Amino acid sequence: MAQAALTIDGLGVDFEGFKAVNGVSLIIEEGELRVLLGANGAGKTTLMDLISGKTKSTEGRVFLHDTNITNWEEHRIARAGIGRKFQIPSVFKELTVRRNLEVASCKNPGVFANLGFGFPAKAKVDEVLELIGLADEANRVAAYLSHGQTQWLELGLLITQDPKIILLDEPTAGMTQAETHKTSLIVNNLRGRHTIIVVEHDMAFVREIAERITVLHLGQVLAEGSVTDIETNPKVKEAYLGSKGIS
Amino acid sequence: MSSQRRIDWAIYAGFVILIMLVPLVMDPFWLNRIAKYLVFGMLGIAVALSWGYAGILNLGQGLFFGAGAYMLAMSLKLASATSLQQGSDRPVPDFMLWNAEPGAKTELCCITKASFLWLPFQSQWFGFAMGLILPVLMAVVVGLIVFRKRISGVFVSIIMLALVLLVRLVMIDAQPVTNGFNGLTDLGWFKIGDFEFDPYIVPTYYLIAGSLSVVLLAARLLIDTRAGVILQAVRNDENRARYLGFDVPAYQTFFFAVSAAIAGFAGMLYVIVSEFASPTFMDLSFSITMVVWAAVGGRASILGACIGAIAINMISATVSETEGFAEAWKAIIGLIFVLVVLYLPRGIAGLAHDLIDRVVARKTPRASPVLRVHDATSQLAE
Repeated sequence: MAQAALTIDGLGVDFEGFKAVNGVSLIIEEGELRVLLGANGAGKTTLMDLISGKTKSTEGRVFLHDTNITNWEEHRIARAGIGRKFQIPSVFKELTVRRNLEVASCKNPGVFANLGFGFPAKAKVDEVLELIGLADEANRVAAYLSHGQTQWLELGLLITQDPKIILLDEPTAGMTQAETHKTSLIVNNLRGRHTIIVVEHDMAFVREIAERITVLHLGQVLAEGSVTDIETNPKVKEAYLGSKGIS
Repeated sequence: MSSQRRIDWAIYAGFVILIMLVPLVMDPFWLNRIAKYLVFGMLGIAVALSWGYAGILNLGQGLFFGAGAYMLAMSLKLASATSLQQGSDRPVPDFMLWNAEPGAKTELCCITKASFLWLPFQSQWFGFAMGLILPVLMAVVVGLIVFRKRISGVFVSIIMLALVLLVRLVMIDAQPVTNGFNGLTDLGWFKIGDFEFDPYIVPTYYLIAGSLSVVLLAARLLIDTRAGVILQAVRNDENRARYLGFDVPAYQTFFFAVSAAIAGFAGMLYVIVSEFASPTFMDLSFSITMVVWAAVGGRASILGACIGAIAINMISATVSETEGFAEAWKAIIGLIFVLVVLYLPRGIAGLAHDLIDRVVARKTPRASPVLRVHDATSQLAE
C-alpha cells in the first residue's frame, strides 16, 4: 500500500452548536486523486477550510505525512506543502499573467530574502504557461482574462507553487463544456505528480478524472469507493443523487 | 527593458536633473521654500508606498514625520547658542528653565522631571539615528499588532488617525520636556563635520534635493524587487498570497516601516530647513493633506505622488499670495482635488502614463490596435 500523504483523524468544527464537519476521518494516499462529493451544506468546502487552515478545527487532527499541521496558520500550511484553489477564482488581478506565476514560483517566501531583482524560475513559468494554455496571454493583465482563463491561471499558480497536495474547490464552476474538458485535461496531467483532492458537482468532469470518491453528508463521511461503487450505493442515492442515479 | 520602462526611468532622471538645476534660477528665499516643498515631496513618496503599493491608507503619517522631526530638533536645540547660556557648562534648553522644578539644578539630568531623556541628544548623530529608528520602531509595533490581527482597510486608517492625535496630545501635555504647544524653536544648524547647514544657502538645498533623489530612486527600485512585486500581489488578494505561503503581515509591516522611515527622514530634513519642530506636524489636517498630495499626483506612482506634493504646495504658495485669491486659495486647492478625484482617479501620473502608452503604441506598430485590425482585414482579403 502506498504511503499516506494526508491523514485526517476525527476532524470536526463546531460553529456555535452547528457542526459543519463532524468527526471526518480520511486517508489520502500519495499520488492519489480523490473527489469529494456531497450536497450543498455537506461540509466539503468547510473540510477544505479546515485542512488549509482557513477555519480552525475544534476537534481532531490533520497530518501531512508525519507532521501534525492541525490549526497552523495558513501560510505555514502552504509552505509545508498544501496548495489550494478557491471556489471563486482568486488571482492577482492587477498583475500580468506571467507576474502572477512568477510570484507563485517564489521558493523563499520571506521579505528580506526577496529584496533582490528578477524571478529565477523562468523555465518553470514558461512550462506552466504552456500547460494551462495561456502562453499567448502571458503579458496580459489578469483582470482582462475570461472566467475560464482566470480559473486556469489559478490552477497555474498552484502548479507553479508545486505543493505536495493540491486542494481544488470546484475548479469547473461556471465553465462551458469545452472549458470543463480542458480543465480535466490539466488536472489529469497533474495526476501522479501531486496528491489531489477535488470538490466538484459536475458529474461529467468527475467521471473524467475520478479514481476514488468520498461522499460527505451532513458533515460526515457517508460512503467511499470507485465511481461505480458510489453510483450503486443505495445510501448515496437516497441522500444525494435521488433515485435516478448519476446522470 | 521594455520601452515604457525606459521612458519611466528617463522621467525619473529628468526630475532629478530638474531639481538639481533649481539653484541656478532661484534666490535664497525661494530656494529655502522649494527645499521645504521637496521635503513634502518625500512625504508624498512615503504615502504612495504605503497607500498605493501596500494598500494601507495611513491617515496618521504625520506621526512618523513628527517623530523624526522632534528627534533631530532635540539635538539641534541642544546645539543652539541659547542652550549654552542658561548658566550651566553643558547645554540646557531655555524652556526647561521656565518649566523647572523649584530648586532644581540647571542641569539636563534633573532640571525637569523627565529632562534626563534629553541627555543622549547632546550628540547630533544620536538624534539623527533616533529620527529613523523611532518611526520604524513605532511602525513595526503597530504593524505587527494590526496586520497580525488582520485589521485592514478603513480600520487601519482610523487606528492611525487616533494614534497621531493621541501622541500629539501627549506631546503638548508634556510641556517640561517638549515645550508643549510652542514646540522646539531657536535651533542650531545641522552639521556634517565642521560644515554648518544654514537653511538659506545653496548646499542646504542640495542636501535636501540629494536626499530626495536618493529616496526617490531607492523607493522606485524597492518596488521593482521581488518583495515589491509580492507586496502588490498581497494588495490584490491577501488570501491568495497567504495560500501561496507568504507571511502577509510581514510584508505589510515591512513596507509600512519603510514608509515610516521615509516620513521620519522627511521630518528631520524639514527641521533642517525650517528651524523648528512643533505639534502641528501631528495635526490631523496635515496627515490628510499628505494623502491629498498623493491622490492628486497619483498614489500608484512614486514620482507622481512626489510631484503632486511639490506642485500643490507651489500652487498654494502662489495662489495664496496673489491678491484677490488670498481668501479663496483653499477653495481652489479643494477644487483641484475634487476635479482630479472625479476625472483622473489615478492622478497626474495616471494621465501621464496613458499619454506615454499612446505615444509608444503609435511608434511600435504591433501594439497598435488600428494596425492590427488592418492586418486582420488584409488577411481576410487573401
